[in-house]
Amino acid sequence: METSRSEYSNGIPSRKLIPKPNEPSAKEPELQTVESRNWLLHRHFTRKEFGICKILIQEELERTRGKHEYANYIQGLILRQEGKIQESLDCFQMCHSLDLKNVDYIKQVARSLFLMGLHSLALEAYLEAQQASKVPDWDIYHNLGECWICLGDYTKAKESLRQAVQLGHHEHSYVALADTYKMEGEIQAAIDIYKAALEITFRAAPDSAQLATSLGLLYLQEGKYQHALEKLGGALARDPQCARALLAAGAMMQNHSDYDVALSKYKIAAQSWPESPALWNNVGMCFYGKKKYVAALSCLKRAHYLSALDWDILFNLGLVHMATQQYASAFHFLSAATNLRPAHAGTFLLLAITLRHLDDPDNAAEAFKQAGLLSPMDASIPLNYAVFLESQGDLDGAALQLERFQELAQMSPRLSSELVQTATQLSKVLNRRLMSSNGSKVEGVDGNDKSNMAIEVEAQVRVRNPPVDSSPESLPRNHMADDEV
Amino acid sequence: MGSTRNLEHDHLWLNAHTDTRAAVYTFSSCITLSDLNADGDFKLIVADLGTGSTNVKLKVYRGTSLHSETALLDVPTGVTSFYMDLSEPRIPAVAVASGSNIYIYKNMRPYFKFSLPALDVNPLERDLWMQIRDEHLEINVLVELLNNLRIEIGHSQLSTRSQHILSLDASEAASFVQQHSKFPLKRQTIVTCITTLKKALTEEKAVSCLVVGTECGEVLVLDPEAFTILEKIKLCAQDNTIVVVPAILAACGLHAVEFRIVAACRDGSLRLARRGWTEAKLLVQLPAQPVAMTVSAENAAITIALMNQTLQCFSKKGKLQWIVTLPAAACSICQIPLPHQSATIIAVSLTGGLLQLYNGRQMVDVIKAPQTVSGVVFGRFGQEENALIMFTVDGSLMVKILKRTAHFNLQGSASNTVSVAPGTAQQVKLQIPKKTRLFLDQTMRERDNCIMMHRTFQRDLFQLRVDVARACVRALQSCNNPVSLEGAEPVKLSAQVLGLGPLFKMVISLQNISASSLVQGLGILFHFDDKMYSMEKPYLHVPMLIPGQEYPFETMIRNISELALSDQVRVLVVRDGQSQPVLAAIINMPVCDLLV
Repeated sequence: METSRSEYSNGIPSRKLIPKPNEPSAKEPELQTVESRNWLLHRHFTRKEFGICKILIQEELERTRGKHEYANYIQGLILRQEGKIQESLDCFQMCHSLDLKNVDYIKQVARSLFLMGLHSLALEAYLEAQQASKVPDWDIYHNLGECWICLGDYTKAKESLRQAVQLGHHEHSYVALADTYKMEGEIQAAIDIYKAALEITFRAAPDSAQLATSLGLLYLQEGKYQHALEKLGGALARDPQCARALLAAGAMMQNHSDYDVALSKYKIAAQSWPESPALWNNVGMCFYGKKKYVAALSCLKRAHYLSALDWDILFNLGLVHMATQQYASAFHFLSAATNLRPAHAGTFLLLAITLRHLDDPDNAAEAFKQAGLLSPMDASIPLNYAVFLESQGDLDGAALQLERFQELAQMSPRLSSELVQTATQLSKVLNRRLMSSNGSKVEGVDGNDKSNMAIEVEAQVRVRNPPVDSSPESLPRNHMADDEV
Repeated sequence: MGSTRNLEHDHLWLNAHTDTRAAVYTFSSCITLSDLNADGDFKLIVADLGTGSTNVKLKVYRGTSLHSETALLDVPTGVTSFYMDLSEPRIPAVAVASGSNIYIYKNMRPYFKFSLPALDVNPLERDLWMQIRDEHLEINVLVELLNNLRIEIGHSQLSTRSQHILSLDASEAASFVQQHSKFPLKRQTIVTCITTLKKALTEEKAVSCLVVGTECGEVLVLDPEAFTILEKIKLCAQDNTIVVVPAILAACGLHAVEFRIVAACRDGSLRLARRGWTEAKLLVQLPAQPVAMTVSAENAAITIALMNQTLQCFSKKGKLQWIVTLPAAACSICQIPLPHQSATIIAVSLTGGLLQLYNGRQMVDVIKAPQTVSGVVFGRFGQEENALIMFTVDGSLMVKILKRTAHFNLQGSASNTVSVAPGTAQQVKLQIPKKTRLFLDQTMRERDNCIMMHRTFQRDLFQLRVDVARACVRALQSCNNPVSLEGAEPVKLSAQVLGLGPLFKMVISLQNISASSLVQGLGILFHFDDKMYSMEKPYLHVPMLIPGQEYPFETMIRNISELALSDQVRVLVVRDGQSQPVLAAIINMPVCDLLV
């Protein structure tokens, strides 16, 4: 009573006391439990009715003067979904201050820090969570791994992710672990991880098309085409719309010159992925394979528009322009390609042939030499060079290059018949010309041969097609990997 | 014919009743259908959350009209009807869970109130409140000790009273203590979800137990007659500090024989409890928060809608059967048993007002509602056996009746749907950009004249390069470059002219672009035609420049010519005692507006 009198002493009774001035009531005034509406918050939150949810949270926070764990927690989650990471962090920190022992709050704080790009702080928070958690938690290990990846310590990342995989068998952890191995170039290890992931998630989730696709792509990278095709087929059986798998499977068909099947795959992929430069590049090269040059150019130009600095697309554009005898355009694309990848011999070879057609023999010779330097084991380069030198009248040089070709041809037995044919034809011409070195008939023969040669050079270019096709198709895989990230 | 029927609800469903002004704020868990008077006329009982805090009512619809209304004390969590006993006539009871109580109504009159058992209060906390009651303790000491306790055991482990006093100011605390300290300290938990479980018989009117999920992570099974706790199942292991709170409960089986209770929890886990277990087992960790769930009575398969816009089905052992991606966020789920087709289809209401009906993973029908359907139940309403009751988020009530002749096309199996999808994509043509006649003409022209074109291009390119190089050299020689080159001072200059005239403000900013070295002893000199302009300060002294920092220098310049002409002003950055400027820039002055 003493305390209550002091309340009255300043003349104004405290407002709280007015309703029951002298009622020592038998019942305790009802206090609303703090958690009484958690279920309502949760329901509105899961239904994504964030508007109502925020109003309710506001009411709850006012009622409890901010000391409401769950309201703060849900508010943090909503703010994070809205992209307000800093505000969400404040909410989770409030939760954490209310319950220091709750691991989930620490994890959410860490997650917000991670999303803000403060990886080292996030790492510390996750380590704290790990200590607070009594049972080992795959989620914490997984996120620790992600933090280590961002901080560039792959060994520790692998360690954490391995723990996560053992504890949780979660798809994300497997993918992250495999990615780490991929980044370190250990493709075989990555393949093993994916295999394990597929086995386990196949039990849990029949619809794991993405995993199968990733494994297929890795096999492709390793050159195990049979395995790759199996996995990609499996992925497509599970999700026929999976654009990554479609593109890769299409590329494999394309490598086997099965252009119509490849195109049918690309057609489906284009529905979900209309702006993929790799896709349009491959479609373009399919048309090129079917000798539909205008369609090929249209598609390649779209690919080029979508990704202007893509080396493969530039190379292919150069190639197709050569096929349509548009040498001036071909020169542009090829020179752009050489600027982007100055170490690729094939580009220089094509550039040299283009320059020959543009009547620039000096630069053509330079390009041939450069190509030969970059790839001294490629038999087609000396042969093309020989044809070029022969047409320029440098018979000794041509003979030298032909000799070089023959040396290389002996080393690589599986040489295209077209190349061999051209070589024999060339050697015949050379012999004839060397014998009648200063005859009056030479000019006539020369002219005749030149036109022959010209055709042979075209043939040369086409021989180079398969490798040309394969390189753009190896690229889409990288693209896809990037898209995934 | 079932096979030719397209997915239109008009063929299958009759619109029985629509009341757009019902103004009911409710969820699926707060709606139930029951034969309240045992006369075969099923009523719709719905708990209306009102404004969310006030105007909370329990409404009973009979046919199309509102039959009765009962005011509720607190926001209802769930409503369910069940048979409590075997007395004749078989009148079911209605259980309304709200706060920490369950109110039982019979004949729509209050019958019984069950309060959840109080939780253990921390002994230290109880002790503190005892001491304050006996006035052995100062209030501020109490608050401090409670704060310490909170840090130790967490806010949620304290009693409501302690939580309240911790949120109060010191001035309010005294009266609060005075008001409350005389009463025993209690710690109450909250009902989060409620469902029923048949006790011993599977018949429709058999006696059922109530199954209640609480905020403290427990599932209680209550005896329908005595309201004693038959089973108390903890959802998480004892040693875990995190409380796993059930969000949705579903039960199947018989209490006396064998039963399964599945709880979807707020931490995204699916937990299973069976007869005789005191602790639930983790069935599966979901990838997202659960929104709504049903459990099939036949094979205990769990169909659950998640927050990541998927509908997933798990076997009773927790093995994932299939995933369907939904076009929008799910809101609620209800089972539609079709005994005549021996199937149970599942209706999923989506944000935006779509209601999709699935048989397994295959969608068999779509119902369109004008608004997102917040609560949906299917069952017997009035005399009609197959009624679908929907409450939308804006509070309107819709009742649809499934036609007796309705036949869902359930033949298409799961494998069928897979092969249909690419077929449609296959038909779409690849959009290849078209080329014009002009393009082809140009191609021909290039083919004929490629050498000439190449040479022209190369020549022009070289010409351009030469011109650029010359201009560059000229600029360097006359020091007309705004960024200095190596050898000279590492300074960058940029200029700005503000105003409409005749008075302009000129802002010159200098920046030291070197990594570490300081720049000293510079000045800015303006060179202009003194018949055209006059300047306040034609020379500005530049202080020492710190790397990276940008220094703005301002001066006023006035156009003094009578004619509306403008001229160039040259800005020279000079070094003391050096004849050649370090940097220079030409500013084209704007024409001043004489009208101003």
